[in-house]
Amino acid sequence: MSIAEAEVQELKLEQPSSLGRDALDRFRHNKAAMVGVVVILLLVLIAIFAPLIAPYGTGEQVGVLDSSNPEGPSSEHWMGLDEQGRDVFSRVVYGARLSLLVGLVSVTFGLSFGFVLGALSGYFGGWVETIIMRTMDIMLAIPTLLLAIGLVSLLGRGLTQIMIAVGITTIPIFARLLRGSILAQRESDYVLAARSLGVPGRRLLMVHILPNALAPLIVQATLVMATAIIEVAGLSFLGLGPAEPGLPEWGKMLADNASRIDRATHLVIFPGAAIVISVLGLNLIGDGLRESIDPKMRS
Amino acid sequence: MAPLLSVRDLAVQFKTRKSTIRAVNGISFDLNAGETLGIVGESGCGKSVSALAMLGILPKAGRVTRGEVLFEDVDLLKLPDSQLRQIRGNDVAMIFQDPMTSLNPILTVGRQITEALRKHLDMSKSKANEEAVALLDRVGIPAAKDRIGDYPHQFSGGMRQRVMIAMAISCRPKILIADEPTTALDVTIQAQILEVLKQLVAEENMALILITHDLGVVAGTCGRTNVMYAGRFVESAPTRKLFAKPRHPYTLGLLKSVPRLDAARKEKLQPIGGTPLSMTSEIEGCAFAPRCIYATEESRTKTPELRRIDSDDHLVACWNPVQEQDMPRIEIVAARDEGVAG
Repeated sequence: MSIAEAEVQELKLEQPSSLGRDALDRFRHNKAAMVGVVVILLLVLIAIFAPLIAPYGTGEQVGVLDSSNPEGPSSEHWMGLDEQGRDVFSRVVYGARLSLLVGLVSVTFGLSFGFVLGALSGYFGGWVETIIMRTMDIMLAIPTLLLAIGLVSLLGRGLTQIMIAVGITTIPIFARLLRGSILAQRESDYVLAARSLGVPGRRLLMVHILPNALAPLIVQATLVMATAIIEVAGLSFLGLGPAEPGLPEWGKMLADNASRIDRATHLVIFPGAAIVISVLGLNLIGDGLRESIDPKMRS
Repeated sequence: MAPLLSVRDLAVQFKTRKSTIRAVNGISFDLNAGETLGIVGESGCGKSVSALAMLGILPKAGRVTRGEVLFEDVDLLKLPDSQLRQIRGNDVAMIFQDPMTSLNPILTVGRQITEALRKHLDMSKSKANEEAVALLDRVGIPAAKDRIGDYPHQFSGGMRQRVMIAMAISCRPKILIADEPTTALDVTIQAQILEVLKQLVAEENMALILITHDLGVVAGTCGRTNVMYAGRFVESAPTRKLFAKPRHPYTLGLLKSVPRLDAARKEKLQPIGGTPLSMTSEIEGCAFAPRCIYATEESRTKTPELRRIDSDDHLVACWNPVQEQDMPRIEIVAARDEGVAG
């Protein structure tokens, strides 16, 4: 084989077939991101098959009701019993459902509204942009948890209301991100080139600008999902969690047992660890995505 | 016969919060079918802005303050955007400087080439795809059929510029504006790209406006060259004449500052002293006067207009044009002349 042939072959080997696949390749080779994927996949499986995995129901009293000295972990109850004699393991398993639901719903909510607002202000500019972005600035000026607390007290304490409240707090993050991204893309050379070919405005936005502006949003969505889970847990911990009693929400479990941390550590450690692991998993995925999608990291 | 494109007294300003930048200060030129016009000048002299203004795609802050751009006797500047869009890409198309960023990274090149075809010529998807393959083939991309589904990052810089050319010529425009098409490319690739452009212009009887800061590029490509300084044309002549007998001191300065392989070892390059004027204030007199060794009292007070010198097709805007004895040595000109003819 001649040198030229070898070079051609090498070039071919280096050419993946599409941009998405290229990014996926980099993502797959990112060990930390893969750990995140495994963690979150496990969590999803646990959530889906909760009834099969959990030995008991979430409200089922299976042991001695002893609020001052709940039974610790044993071979029968891996994570011990809580103050009402319920199996902590079963509750943590069912809790995965809630946390994933909360993360997904509130981010979807925030992303959809943030997307529309960001796209409107990025595309139209002028007073539309001024009104939208100043409103977003005001929302960002209030600490997220405080804003969420305010919204919960306004909307009520149901699980749905809490998810919406947390979702609302994430709107400005997405709106600002998309607007900035659109502005950057709008000034790019390929948009100018497309304009020079007579591509009309709406098509410019839908086909050229938006798809290119989306990547940072996807990354951010993963990271915001992690924050949303923490925020809902935080709201629960502050006593603003879902009003439904007995709901196995991780944050609520922490809050209920905070006073027993010295006597029954297991009641705090297991739900706490569940929160940490799921948030860590999402963050690892988010960082991995950022690295694989970011054009600057492209070789 | 009226020219294909006639630009009359075009002026463009950029308004910023602090000041107004007078990017283009009244340029005029005619362009006939099949003609190749070079516009040469240093960075920031208004070359690209003029082109963007003609197509109505100036950045937001930019505004055409006066003038006409008559394309087939229709003033493009007065057309509503919807009608102008019909002309962009269809009758007048443009190629940009940086092929690395001028293609949409997430669409296949096929999709980007067919975009204009489908919009302007109303082609079906399969027909447009066939046409795109033919176009890629035409601009010299090997195995065009297999590459149509590839993404821009899978092409090298030179290949991407070929793709850009394919996009621009897809609807067989009557005028092709190439804005520094070779600046971002290696010298060997530059020659190839220029060759592609020259061939297309000859085959399609397309008019070409080649914007560049590189005198070598216009020398081999353009029939006529306009030299631009501070938003005005300072000299306009057939390329051959311009290189042989530059009459404007700025043109002479540009020619002298090009490094030459055939120059004597000790001969030093002669850069043009000073820096261009800030374009924020109204310029009194000739804009080049502060950097010009030929400047007279008149140069500093009265703005010179383009006027005929030597012959009908040689125009210069100067009160004290360069005289014969200061012109470049003949043997250099001869070498250049060959390039022009070829």
